[in-house]
Amino acid sequence: MSETAAASRKSRRQGGAWRKVLPHLVLSLGAVFMVVPFLLELVTSVKTFAESTHTPPSLIPHPFEWGNYAAVFDSLPFSHQLANTILMTAGRTAGQVLFCSMAGYAFACLRFRGSGLLFGLFLSVLMVPSQLFLIPNYQIMQWLGLLNSLPALVLPGMFSAFGTFLMRQFFLQLPTELGEAARIDGANPFQIYWRIMLPLSGPGMLALAILTAIWSWNDLLWPLVVNTDPEKMPVSAGLAALQGEHLTNYPVLMAGALLASLPMIALFVFFQRRILEGIAFTGLKG
Amino acid sequence: MKRMGHPPRAPGKVSPYPRQSTLHRKDARWALLFVAPTALGLAVFCIWPTFQTFYYSFTTWGPFGGHDWSGLDNYRELFTDPELRNSLISTAIFTIVTLLSVPIGMVVAVLLNRPGMRGLGLYRTIYFLPTVTLPASIAIMWKMLYNGDYGAINWALGLIHIHGTSWLANPDTAIYAVAVVSVWGSIGYNMVLFIAGMQVIPRTLYEAAELDGAGRVAQFRHITIPLLSPTIFFVTVITIIGALQAFDLVYMMIGKSNPALAKSETVVFLFFHKAFLDSQGGYAAAIAFLLLTIILVFTSIQFRMQKRWVHYE
Amino acid sequence: MSEPSRRARTHLTRSRRTLLGLTAVLALLLAGCTSGSGSSNSTAGASVTLSYSVWEQPQFATMQKLAAQFHAENPNITVNVQLTPWEQYWTKLQTSVTGGSAPDVFWMNIPNFKLYAKGGALLPISDQVAKDNVDMSNYVSAIADAYKWDNKIYALPKDVDAVGLWYNKKLFTDAGVKFPDASWTWADLTAAAQKLTDSSKGIYGIAANAADQLNYYNTILQAGGHIISPDGKSSGYDSPEAIKGLQFWVDLINKYHASPTLAQMTDTAPLDMFTSGKVAMLYGGSWSVLSMVNIPYAKENVDVAPMPKGEQVGGVSNGLGNAIYAKTKHPIEAWQFVKFLGSKEAADILAATGAVIPAYKGTTDAWVKATPEFHLQTFVDELAFTSAYPSSVSSAAWSDFALKEFAAAWSGQESVEDAAKHVADEMNAALAKENQ
Repeated sequence: MSETAAASRKSRRQGGAWRKVLPHLVLSLGAVFMVVPFLLELVTSVKTFAESTHTPPSLIPHPFEWGNYAAVFDSLPFSHQLANTILMTAGRTAGQVLFCSMAGYAFACLRFRGSGLLFGLFLSVLMVPSQLFLIPNYQIMQWLGLLNSLPALVLPGMFSAFGTFLMRQFFLQLPTELGEAARIDGANPFQIYWRIMLPLSGPGMLALAILTAIWSWNDLLWPLVVNTDPEKMPVSAGLAALQGEHLTNYPVLMAGALLASLPMIALFVFFQRRILEGIAFTGLKG
Repeated sequence: MKRMGHPPRAPGKVSPYPRQSTLHRKDARWALLFVAPTALGLAVFCIWPTFQTFYYSFTTWGPFGGHDWSGLDNYRELFTDPELRNSLISTAIFTIVTLLSVPIGMVVAVLLNRPGMRGLGLYRTIYFLPTVTLPASIAIMWKMLYNGDYGAINWALGLIHIHGTSWLANPDTAIYAVAVVSVWGSIGYNMVLFIAGMQVIPRTLYEAAELDGAGRVAQFRHITIPLLSPTIFFVTVITIIGALQAFDLVYMMIGKSNPALAKSETVVFLFFHKAFLDSQGGYAAAIAFLLLTIILVFTSIQFRMQKRWVHYE
Repeated sequence: MSEPSRRARTHLTRSRRTLLGLTAVLALLLAGCTSGSGSSNSTAGASVTLSYSVWEQPQFATMQKLAAQFHAENPNITVNVQLTPWEQYWTKLQTSVTGGSAPDVFWMNIPNFKLYAKGGALLPISDQVAKDNVDMSNYVSAIADAYKWDNKIYALPKDVDAVGLWYNKKLFTDAGVKFPDASWTWADLTAAAQKLTDSSKGIYGIAANAADQLNYYNTILQAGGHIISPDGKSSGYDSPEAIKGLQFWVDLINKYHASPTLAQMTDTAPLDMFTSGKVAMLYGGSWSVLSMVNIPYAKENVDVAPMPKGEQVGGVSNGLGNAIYAKTKHPIEAWQFVKFLGSKEAADILAATGAVIPAYKGTTDAWVKATPEFHLQTFVDELAFTSAYPSSVSSAAWSDFALKEFAAAWSGQESVEDAAKHVADEMNAALAKENQ
């Protein structure tokens, strides 16, 4: 071991306690910044309507109106809509993970004429406000006879330029030698994709799945426009109905919002452990 | 897609494989297969509407369809519109502030990527919470925090004798206040991307560096950043594209008779207003295309510049 | 809806989608998108389902009740009430009209009416009204007239609203100020507001907000001005009377310091300030009854009086109407339903809920009696002199611009005259475009 290495290791040991505490300090401060709005949401969700409108706002509700959570189920077909949200999210996520990993692989690993132009066209889709697609997509759904249905919620969301871009970046991070070696051995691109690239891109697909799920979970405008029956709406649309022209029942809305985010939080808690335990990828030997 | 040549990790190693071009002759057919589903879906749901809108930007589009050709009128109006000018400034401010979420997200991801750290799962979940919350409730909660008289922020500032203003109703601070909420909401999002990106970096590299005497910061600078650069690039590009299209948060947090509205409208806010509230669909289309051009320019610059700092394998 | 039929429907669309998917893409890329929904003529007596779109969640149950009542009287017609949140209602309606499949019957309001009427989205019902002898004089005339375009009737009025002076009895008593009454003038209000302001307790006399329907539309009319000329071609904002009507509010904030600042009223809703006892007076709508009654402090301590007069009495009333989609597949049944919604029977049901004032004259007693804590007759009496909410085809454009400009005036960034002039210019430009 070199002298400088030994010396620097020694100095690091001396600052050891500080180095252990600093990350926690930074993270905790950040966590407070992250969590304060939630505490507010939680507190508001158990206030009575009258208390929620009171100014100055009270820190501790008096009384605790737990009935707001029950009121969520009275105000909208919550469980039904939650099921719709889950189905919609699952459909979109599955579609995007499959199709975007395929397209991302093509852009990253396959050489073909016009790939740059096509990729640029894909990216340009991200650069226009999504409200632009509202009316044309509505007309397409109408043409297909899919207005006011669950497929209408899923279909447009299965194709994503964002997801393609993401997967492309992940595939580009993988060493080319792997693909090249397989090519030499006579594998075709599909075999390379299926046997080599896909398993290695686990983290990327997982990230895409999480982000697509997040986006889909709270998607509001498209479901509201294309579907009309409350039973065919996702929960985000149902909760939006609580915001009236003149009156909004904030506590019930907060309670509903918290209930609606629980499944996603649970899902994340489960998946982030998988990342932590490294099941999603195989080690790459340099 | 051109991939830049990068010096192999182990110095002196030469690729024993034949030139790449001979292996890729049949790629086009496969590529078609792989790209087809997404390409078709995007063509139908996104690209076709975009071309349609481009056409409509040269018309006066009625509220319920039906249009008259108006040539460059909409674009001419664009360049003399003071509202548009203000919206460009607001959008620029919003974007610059939102970019903070990239380094913050990265630091958080790095700190939360070390195995064996206590409270990892809890921290990650807390940082992730904002991304799964209903946007409407985010707006409501932050409005309460920003309240000039009773908000927690001004209360905290009062403890150190700073008199806070009404953050959302003050024309000078409103757009910054909304941008901070955007940063708050994006940190968890970026954290997920960065953690995923870091999984591809082999642990062995860090171990080797540790043995060679490199400290944490040095490891970060020489291993993490270069190998994470494709993800950093992606996150930066996506963050900028998203921020330039800021709408939802501004719309929910700044109301119609908020004195700060004129200086906080973003470009997409204006677009939405013109398209759906004022029934000026043609003009709105022109706004959308101006925005597309701006974003295209910025994104192309970033793609050009990636050759300088992004390392692909 | 039953499980089997839902599954069957999904199965059908899934296979249909698979079959048509690729063809649809190709066809769309080649041709434009034309919505070809074949219209089927409904024969009287055949079973028909109508869709009825509304936005107010508190009234949803009442609308369903009306739908059920109608179905009981017309067993072959089922009405499916659909709730769309207020924020997205107009976006969705515009999208569905453009797409060609809007709901059969839907709520319409005055600010949006002319746009939809001119755009051909609504079915004219003048002939049906004449044929079925619907007496339009049964409705509040301002609202009935508001739903006419090009001399044709397009909607039957559903409800009407008015703005009144809500006040806090407790704060008035504590400060020794007499309660407002019909004799009050602007001077009385201003004087009282100053007396009621107690900055040591953080209490203001009045919340002088920069809202249009709630605040300055009323005072402009009370000052003898107007917002839009009777022929609908020019703006009235730059007249001295209108400026007086606007200045009234600005002075309350900046001259008499009897009101919170606009920044404060942006952070905290004036209604919340009022129901928390932080302001003693508030110009509030008849629709705020629900809020007042559900907040114990307000229920006990507030009441409402007519708006004080300026040069004259005045005020605006908005009112919802039930309109029929121009391309509905069931025009006959839709008219039956709209006629029912415009009947005295429906108005009575609506009034009893206490939610809104029905537009059908003579049914308001039930509404007044539904909430005896407040002198709700005030609002009904005001209907004698209120005029319809000012609107034009491009209302949304200039009214939002006005809100933005006046926010600057209210917060002292701009003088009222300048703001009024800017708004008038913008509005005149928009009106000129409409009328060319």
